[in-house]
Amino acid sequence: MIVRTPHLQDEVIFECYYAARRGETLDPPAAEHLADCEGCARRYTDAGAFLNTLSEDAEAEVSALFPPERLRAQQQEISRRLELVGRAARVISFPGRSAAAVAQKPRTPATRLTRWLAVAAAAGLFVGVAAGTAFNFGPRFDVAHDGPRTGANTAARQAINAGRPARLSSAAVAPAVDIDDMFMSDLESVLDRPHTRELIAFDQLTPHLRDVRDFAR
Amino acid sequence: MAGAAAAAGTPAVATSATDVPARLPASAPLSDDSRLAVDIRGMVERGDLEDARQQFEGLVVAHQRRALRIAFQYLRDAAEADEAVQDAFVKVFSHIGSYREAWPFEVWFTRILINGCLDRRKARVRRDRWIVPSDDTTTAGGSLSDRRAFAAAANAPSTQADPEARLLARERRARMTAAVERLEGRQRTVFMLCHYGDCTPREVGAMIGLNESTVRVHLFRAARKLRALLGGQP
Repeated sequence: MIVRTPHLQDEVIFECYYAARRGETLDPPAAEHLADCEGCARRYTDAGAFLNTLSEDAEAEVSALFPPERLRAQQQEISRRLELVGRAARVISFPGRSAAAVAQKPRTPATRLTRWLAVAAAAGLFVGVAAGTAFNFGPRFDVAHDGPRTGANTAARQAINAGRPARLSSAAVAPAVDIDDMFMSDLESVLDRPHTRELIAFDQLTPHLRDVRDFAR
Repeated sequence: MAGAAAAAGTPAVATSATDVPARLPASAPLSDDSRLAVDIRGMVERGDLEDARQQFEGLVVAHQRRALRIAFQYLRDAAEADEAVQDAFVKVFSHIGSYREAWPFEVWFTRILINGCLDRRKARVRRDRWIVPSDDTTTAGGSLSDRRAFAAAANAPSTQADPEARLLARERRARMTAAVERLEGRQRTVFMLCHYGDCTPREVGAMIGLNESTVRVHLFRAARKLRALLGGQP
């Protein structure tokens, strides 16, 4: 009675391939079966061809990417880096060489004068901004405030009102009237009674809102 | 490190890069490289750095090509692979004092190299979060790293002279790269080390902290999945 051994599993076939590739001896039963069984031998050949193609392609790819000259360049680079191993770290000056060269350049009187002018201008600007902020010059910074800090603004407002007609001046000095209302009322009064001679003709030609309103009534 | 590496889709290679693997192999004769590494370690300990550097160049020449193959398969970027290999060699020389001949030099070096590659992959994933893909890349699908790997494979120069064969090889490489990128992280690492790095499952187990039989299982599954992804014909 002849007992037929089962076919080799894929795992065993791959094992055999890698063992043969490394030059190791194959598992004796597997080697015997491969010698006897045509089907398993074909599977073994197919798997080997597949895996060999993978290796050959990878090898070809690396050979193309890393030709001998690049390998040599890499060896030289590694040697260069190895020379630095074991040496103390070098301190790199900062800023770089160009900045150091500029710093060491001899200073002429013209350069010094330019620098002093720049420093004086910067200082003047700073003092001006600081003083302006501290004293709060100008009426536009304190339109909405009526506190004790607004003495300068009040004086300026009175000076403005002094140049206005009497009616406007009296309205402006009234403490309860807001400056915006004053302005609007001034505007309305000017528009109601055009005193500018050159504009009277235009005013007569232009329909007034009150006329339209009266007509509608 | 394990969590971050898992987030990057790659397995963590055991602990620190320069640690000695925990499991020791059965006593085996030292390889030439391992003996050389032990000699270099002695020179460094004696303070004879110049001789150590000269001897180390032999190790660089011996392992450079294999290291580039592994690093490029991990990173799919020639410049980054170049830097990763350089960093690995410099790190090996700097830490040669911690080398123990219980494991071959090749295993120790590969482990340092893989750790460097994994760090670079993680850094790339972090960088990619801040990059807005352009229109042509969004239509391709997949992550930015996948698309970059695919483009690198498609644009890699070829040594073949025939334009048609060159084009076919390029397309095949691109398909293979995409298939390898689709492997699960640990499977990919095992496959790369065994297949492209010519490491034995035992060595890979020492590098990534896995049992040898587990490595064999991962290798088999990776090869089977690749065959399925590539339709049996690469």
